[in-house]
Order: sequence, then C-alpha cells, then structure tokens
Amino acid sequence: MDAIALPTEADTEPATRSAGTAVARLGGISKAFGPTQANDRIDLVVEASDVLGLVGGNGAGKSTLMRILCGVTRADAGTIEIGGVGIDTGLYDTRLAQAGGIRIVHQELSLCDNLSVAENFFLEAPEAAQPLPGWRRIYRARAHAALDEVFPGHGIDVDAPVGHLQIGQRQMVEIARAVTAPKVRLIILDEPTSSLGLERSRQLRAFIRARAAAGLAFIFISHKLQEVVEIATAILVLRNGRVAWTGSSAEASVAALVAAMGGPTEGALRSRRAARPAVAADAAGIVRISGDVVAPLGRDVVLRAGEVVGLAGLEGSGQRELLHRLFGRVQDGIARQGKASFVSGDRQKEGVFPLWSVLNNIALGRQSGRPPLGLVSEPAERSAARGAAERLKLDPARFDSPILDLSGGNQQKALVARALVGDAATILFDDPTRGVDVAAKEDFYALVSDVARAGRLVVWHSTEDIEFLECDRVLVFSGGKIVRELTGDQISEKAIVDASFAHAGALERDATAGGRGLAEWIVDLAPFASLAAVFALMAYVNPLVVSLFGLDLLLGPAIALVLVALAQMFVVGGSEIDLGVGAFAGLVNVVSATLLVDSPALGLLCLLAGIAAYGLIGATIQVRRIPAIVVTLGASFIWIGIGYTLQPTPGGSSPEWLTALFGWQLFGVPAALVLIGVAGLVALAIDRSPLGVTLRGFGNNANAMKLGGWSPLRYAVARYMIAGLFAMAAGLALTAINTASDINAGGPFTLISVAAVVMGGCALLGGLISPLGVVAGALTLALIGALLGALNVSTDYNAAVQGCLLIGMLVLRAAAARREDAR
Amino acid sequence: MKLSDWLERNRWVWSLIGVLVLWAILSALTSRFSLHSLSGVAVSASFLTIVALGQMLVVTTGRGNIDLSIASVLTLSAYASIVVTQGVDGRLPLALATVVGIGLVTGAVNALLVVAVRIPAIIATLATGYILATGTLIANRWAAGFSVSPLLKTLTAGRVEGVPIMLIIALIAVAGAGFLLRRTVYGRRLSAVGQNERAAELAGIRTGRVITAAFLASSVLAALTGLLLGAYVGGAFLEMGTPYLLQSVGAVVLGGSLIFGGSSTALGTFFGSLLLVLIVTTMQIAGLPPGTQDIVQGLAVIAVLALAGGGAVRRRRAAVPPAAALGAGRA
Repeated sequence: MDAIALPTEADTEPATRSAGTAVARLGGISKAFGPTQANDRIDLVVEASDVLGLVGGNGAGKSTLMRILCGVTRADAGTIEIGGVGIDTGLYDTRLAQAGGIRIVHQELSLCDNLSVAENFFLEAPEAAQPLPGWRRIYRARAHAALDEVFPGHGIDVDAPVGHLQIGQRQMVEIARAVTAPKVRLIILDEPTSSLGLERSRQLRAFIRARAAAGLAFIFISHKLQEVVEIATAILVLRNGRVAWTGSSAEASVAALVAAMGGPTEGALRSRRAARPAVAADAAGIVRISGDVVAPLGRDVVLRAGEVVGLAGLEGSGQRELLHRLFGRVQDGIARQGKASFVSGDRQKEGVFPLWSVLNNIALGRQSGRPPLGLVSEPAERSAARGAAERLKLDPARFDSPILDLSGGNQQKALVARALVGDAATILFDDPTRGVDVAAKEDFYALVSDVARAGRLVVWHSTEDIEFLECDRVLVFSGGKIVRELTGDQISEKAIVDASFAHAGALERDATAGGRGLAEWIVDLAPFASLAAVFALMAYVNPLVVSLFGLDLLLGPAIALVLVALAQMFVVGGSEIDLGVGAFAGLVNVVSATLLVDSPALGLLCLLAGIAAYGLIGATIQVRRIPAIVVTLGASFIWIGIGYTLQPTPGGSSPEWLTALFGWQLFGVPAALVLIGVAGLVALAIDRSPLGVTLRGFGNNANAMKLGGWSPLRYAVARYMIAGLFAMAAGLALTAINTASDINAGGPFTLISVAAVVMGGCALLGGLISPLGVVAGALTLALIGALLGALNVSTDYNAAVQGCLLIGMLVLRAAAARREDAR
Repeated sequence: MKLSDWLERNRWVWSLIGVLVLWAILSALTSRFSLHSLSGVAVSASFLTIVALGQMLVVTTGRGNIDLSIASVLTLSAYASIVVTQGVDGRLPLALATVVGIGLVTGAVNALLVVAVRIPAIIATLATGYILATGTLIANRWAAGFSVSPLLKTLTAGRVEGVPIMLIIALIAVAGAGFLLRRTVYGRRLSAVGQNERAAELAGIRTGRVITAAFLASSVLAALTGLLLGAYVGGAFLEMGTPYLLQSVGAVVLGGSLIFGGSSTALGTFFGSLLLVLIVTTMQIAGLPPGTQDIVQGLAVIAVLALAGGGAVRRRRAAVPPAAALGAGRA
C-alpha cells in the first residue's frame, strides 16, 4: 500500500452530491486467484439510507468483493464508482476507500490491542490530533460518545488497552469506531453479531435503523439469515463468485435465501446421515473427555470409532481449545487411543506448506513416527497419495503443481488427504469448509461419512451450524464448557443456537475488563525496583556513591548506554532488532571526534548522512520484506568499516562545544544526570505523541494499520530515523565523555541495549514499549558493571554477566507470561 | 521443464555463475591470480563452508532464526583444542571430545532458550555468544604457546594429488548436508517447520526436536571448524571467529537459501562461501584496506538480500491466495 502516487483526497471528494447518487457502485467486478474465480461479473449498488444484506456460503466470494470495495484487493476487471465519481480500478486503494467514506468492520478484528480504546479511535480519524500534551482528550470524549450512542450501558473503560477487553466488547468498540467516524457514508459490517449477546445485537440493529434513516448506508453480512431479512432493505446473494439472487428484502424469505445460496440444505444433510449405518453400540471408545470441561453435563463423554462428532457453540466458546487438547499428547481430562491428525480450515496459517508441491504436502502425513534419518522415496509417496486423492476426487495429475496454484477447495482436499495417508484413528477437523466452494463442500461431506464408516473417529468443529446436521452427535459449548449433548434427531440449528446462548449472557456481565491486576503493576515496576536494589547494594559496598559526586561518577558514563537502549527500544517497538546500533554509535563517536573537530561542516554532513542511512535501512527492510537482523548485521560491518577507514587507531578529540554540553551543572546536579532524565522524557514524549501511538500500532497490527490507510513505508522510515537520532546522541555522548574516539567503543552496547530494553519491560514481539523502564534498565546494567568492578571481579566477566542477566530476565518474563496465559 | 522453473529449483546456480565470472575477471586482470591461488581460496572457503552449513540449518528452521553464537563457539573451540592437545597427537581424541562437547552444550542451551522458553533465536544466541566470549577471554590467558597437533596440521594444510584435504572434507560435508535436506525424513520435517511452524505442529511433527537438532548441528559444526582452523593457522586468537558471523549468513544467502527458512541448498551454501571468499581475496589483491573490505561485505549481503527480497520467491511461485492477499499488498 505504498510508493504509489495518489491523487489527493480532495480530488476524490465529489463537489456536490445530487440526490440519488450511489454511495458506491461496483459494476462487473471480476477477480481470480489462480484457478479460482472468486468474483465473476458482480454488480453492487448501495445508495444512501440503504441497508444491503449480503449473504452466501463460505467461499461464495463475499469477502473478496468487500476487500475490493475497501481497496485492499484489486479487481481484475470491472468499474468502481464512489460517491458518483468513477475511479480506475488499478488506482483504487484503501486510502481512496477511506476518503470515499467507506469503513469495514471485520471478523478478524482490526483494532490494535496494545493501544487504548481512545487511541484506537485516534487511528480511525487522526486529523484532530495535535502533537501537544492532552491530545487524547478529544478521542476519549469521542470514544465515550460513540459507545454510548451505539451500545448504551456498555461499561467499557476508554483508557483500557483493547487487549484487556473481551471479544464481544472489542467487537462493540470496533463497530462504534467505524459507525461514528467522521465523513463516513458506507459501513460494511461483516458478521457483526457473531460475538454479541442478544441485547447488544438488538441495540446494534436499532442503531443501524436509526442511522440508515438519517442517510448512512450499510452493507450487512451475516450467516444469521433471519437477522438479514429483518434489518436489510435489499439483499444480494452470492454463490460461487456470482450473483445468485438480488432484490428487495420484502420479496425475500429465509427459505428462499437458503435455496439461492445453494449450500447444503437441511434435508440433504439429514438424509446423508440417515443413510449412514448407525454407530455400533459396542464400537471401541477412542476418546474420553472428563474433568472441568464436562462439568455442566455431570458425566464423562466417550467418543467412539465410526462416529462423527460436532463441536458447536458461539465462536470462541472453547470448541477450538478442546480440539487442540484432543490433538495434544498427554493431558489432564483427555484420554485418547491411537494417533490423531488435524485438518484446519485456516489453510494459510495452519495447513499448507507454501513452497511445496501438492504431493509433498500430502506425503508429509506418512512420515509421522518415522526415524529422522529414514529415507523418503517419491514413488512410494506418489502411490500412497494417489489412493487418498482419488477418494477425495482430487486429480493426481496436479500432484506436481505448487500447492498455492490450487483453489481453496482443492488445497483443502490435499490437506484432508494428508490426514488420510497416515494411520490416525481420530481425525480432527477445525472449520474445514472455510472458503471452500459448494462442490468441494459436497465432496467433503461425502468423505466425512466415508471416513467414519471405515472406522475412524471424526471430530468436527464448524462455524456453520447447518453442518452439524451431518453429525451423529453434537457437543454444544458455552463459556468454555460443554453445556449440551445433542444426538440424532435432537440435532437442529435451533437447538444448537438455544444451547449456545443459554450461558452467554453470564459471560458479558462479569466484565472485569480494563482493570489492571496486581501482577501487571509488579511487572511495570520491576525495572525501577531492580535499579533501586542494585543501587542499594552498591551503596552498601561503597557508601561514597550516595552523593551527587558519586552518582555523577557512577552514572555519568551510563548516558551513552541509556541513549543506545532508547534507540534499540524504538526498533524493538516495531518487533525488529537492530544489531548495528552499537557500531553506529561507535561510528558517530569517530566522526564527531575527527571530522567534526577538523571541518565541522563536513562532519555535520556526515552525521546527517548517517541519519538518512538509518531511514534507508528502514525503507529497505519494509519495501523488500527482508529480516531486519541481517540488514542491520550487514550495516554494522559497514559502520565499522567506515570508522576504521576514517580512523584506524583510537584517538581524536572532542569538539569544545560538545564537551561544554556535557560539562554544566543545574543546582549542583551534574549535566550527565540531567541529560539522562531529559533523554528518558524525550523518548516518553515521542512514545506518547500521535506519532508514537502510530508506531506502536504498526508494531502490534501492521495489517490493520495498512487497512486503515496508514503508510507502512513512511512509518518504518520514521521509526529507524528516530532510532538513528538516539544512537547518534549516544555517539556524541561517548565523544564528550571520553574526549576521544574508538570505532570499537560502541560494539558492546548492542547486546546491552537489547538487555536494557528487555529489562525495561518492552515486549520483543513489538508494540509494547516503556521509555522510563528502559532508562531504569540501562542504568541497572551500568551499575552492575560498576558493582562488579567494586567487588574486584575482572572486567573479563562483564560480557558473561550481562549475557546471563539478559537470559535470566527473558526466562523470568516468559514464566510470568505463561502464568498470565494460564489465568 | 522450463528454464525459469529449473532455475527456481536450483538457486545455487547463481552463486556458481558468480564464482566463475569473478574468477574469470581475476585471471584476466591480474597475473598474480592463478589456479594455485584458487586452491588457496578453496581452503579458506572450506572452513567457511562448514560453519555456513550449520548456519544454513538454523536459517532453514524459519522465522528469521539465525545463530549468532557461532563466532564465539569457533574461537573458544580453537582455544580449547590448543589447550587440550598441547601439540601432542595422542591427545587429539580428547581435544575432539572437548570441542564437540562445547558445541553440544552451546547448541543445547540455544535450543532450550529458543524452543522451551520461546526467546527469539537472535537474542538467545547473542546472549550465549557473549557468555562464551568471556570464556575465550579466560582461555586467552591460559593458552600459552601455539603448539598444534601435527596430525591435525597435516590434515588441514595437506593435499592429495594437489587437492587440499580441507576441500575434500568440506565437499563431504556438503554432500552429507545435501542428502539430509533432500532425501531424509528429517530434511522434510526441517523444511516443513521452516515454511509454517504451526502447520508442521498440526501435521504431527515434533517441531521442538527438529529445531533443537538444527541448533546442535550449527554449534557442533562451528566448534569443529574452530578445531580445524586453529590447526591450520597454527594457534588461536581472540577475534578469530568474528568474520564468520556475517560471512556464514552471507554464504547462506548468496547460495540461494531462503532467509525466512523452509528451503535451503547445501551446494549453494558451498558456492556462496566460495564467492564470498573470492570477493574478499579480490579486495586483498586490489590492496583495499580492511575497513573497506568490511564495508563491501556488509553492502554485498544487504544488496543480495534486497534483490532477492524476502517474499519474492514465494510470490513468484503462485498467485496470491485470498487469505494472503490481505497482507501481501502490491508486489
């Protein structure tokens, strides 16, 4: 989403909007992914006050169509007209969609969960933010107003990080954010009620009606057809990428929509199950589920060979967890005979090996349990895979194609074949028909019957309740536990929904969300506590340090480390690591002690070039999608090489102004100590500013940021330039303090900076940084070096102590995180 | 099969072409460069190849995993072998056991941190590397004299029919690694883990074991290289392993293995090593100062990576599937 010249937003704003102009008009939209025709000449018109219901089975092309409308995916052919202005499909992108007032609320949430609710409102409409303290106030007010308007009595704290909210509350935030965005004209709600309770769902529908009456347009996507018929003014039904039916909702009924969607019908599924021989009463029990999860039933659940067992319930009610526990090895409460294999419907993340052919993808299933040095033979794999593929109607002629060249349905068949070529007694399906076309679904249903009849146990989690009609038995989940067991004719969509919601109300009420636990406070305070502890120890060993003079002597040299650590912190905030940051500080040290003294103009130019080079590093990493580690490792050699070339042996001197900069006192407090404080506050100010929030947003959820129209390239460059500036300040500090330079002076800082960042409480996965914690962490590490010196430990051991400390901190944090998860 | 497909599958060809072109240029431009000096290049490249093969296995495990501890492992092993052998062939088995021990312990600690504690590989190996660096500082004070085992000296500096023995050792290692990657169950598992760890786990692969084996192999190979290199140069010194850090990653990348894991080529790593050593040799012949050599090496690695592009190969192989399209953006 970058590096393309865009017309300015003003160009896309229609000057006047005459009545009857469509908010969005798509004509003849086609889009193919490899062999799959996801959209085939689809027309879609939404006018102001319309509520367009969009329905279709999984894989019907709804998501692709909406991605095209939002500018995420580019259409192969067709016309796009937003607010009456035709836009070249080749140029249409997320920024133009945003400018045209189109917003989407997805199933995959597009909030940054490290940011507060109010900050997420900022990401949606950054125009009102100013880089002044207190800029959040306006977004806090907006978030409050928006949530109150859509979901009265929501009880959500707008200062709580989104990650602390429950899934339903997040969905409420997301909906409220989109529908109250300024200049919004069309809201796409993709399964908005999937995680909402009945009351919230009712509030939302009431809001949609009210806003539609006021002129806002909606596209409402839902599997719950009754809801669609009730809320929509017009309905568009997609089937295998084409328009199957379109008309006003007055002409539609649930039954007519089901028929138009062409998916599995209740009758067909029921009759298939009826045709399957009943599970023998004496069939071997393969899985026994006991313990907490079956507590509401009050008895153990035994799953037998030959059965098809469905796991139903609202999304996120514990079905997936049980499925994964069934797959795992030895577990409390789960006993399983024989092996299990797992087939996920999330093919990209959990299924395919993208570099491999179809054959290799299938054949992997045969290798479980074999010795690592066993040989693989392609002919044997081919013949084994052929059998499985034929049962699935997957053409063996495609075995040598790369797996990604297959359509979603055929990829899924290959993954099922992988499970079949092994000898697993249990096959676990996790929403296997997601994004699969109708024909492939039929093949799949037939296969499930087949596999079960052949004596395996099939456990099947689906997000389409209708598929459970295929099952012999359905376990319905609510709030992480099995609350109902339905068998045979008891199984119906209504029974499943009723049981799912039986306990759902309780879930939303115990909203402790937003509150911070004691454990979190302790984690936040840990860097400062350890600084205090080390300082106390130091004071015990040498009481002289407890004076301004002692502090200056002790902490003065630490300023370079503090600055390098802050530089590293900004890079880590983007979930990357800069292995060249120490070397860069060393280079600045050399430049400022040589060039900057001899010819200040040239020296200054060099330093500016250094910052530009940092920006270039950021751009290279972002544009070429290559690992930051290798690029920065390469860069570290470049910095050192330049440093050696400029100054082969240590020497040089500090420019007078630079020495003076570090040589003053404020009320008797030495400059170095003041500057450490200033550095921390500057970093804090950047982090709290709109820019800092944006950077953290990228560190947490780059895809959502791109979708919101933010430029990843611009912010990657900004991130690295900020890091470069801090590293440069570190190099200058080195020069001022040492009054000489050495290209190797900065090298050791690289590891210590990572250690300081970790000690400071930043998450290595990005998005969570804490400038003051990092300052404390850096000071602690500097003190430890001094402490070792005071204890007469050779400096040889410094590296080992620092390495051990870093590992120790990470192990502790990992343990803390694990306990958090368990909670 | 089309040529482009063949090139796609045999990415090592590019590094071979690079070697041939650079060699041709060198031979044409300077009379000092001969077949004999090429065999000198081959010996240097052989040491690099062995380290790089280990690095390659770690890189193959994916998620940007890199072993940064190899430089310290190599240096420490060189010291250890010299301290233990004291110039006596009879003590060679003991030295070998010590060196392999260093490799196994380091690899095990790295793997423990990466697999069990889930610390990113770069940070875990950076930290263990620093701890070992202290070990080398201490060893440096112990290691008096530079007496290496004569047998090992012969092995590393000797020739059979004019072919350096080190080159033969390296080629055997390349053949072994190539066989491991292409023909064994482990090779398949390693590739699967590198492409998609989550999917590998759900396909029943014990991903922890696969990753552990890669880290063990990397450390042991670096340790063995330390033993051989120490014998070859006739001693050990503090910064001995440092160049191998960037160069091992460089050789893997130049050879055509994917930096994000999942697909690697042992032959490519060999040619990549050769190419990198040739570049350095060229710079030495041209009389470039060491600083410039560092700059050129750094630039070469970044340039090759930037040209190859992290996702380029994957994207070229297939149309972007719907689910990936959201994140992939414009190529």
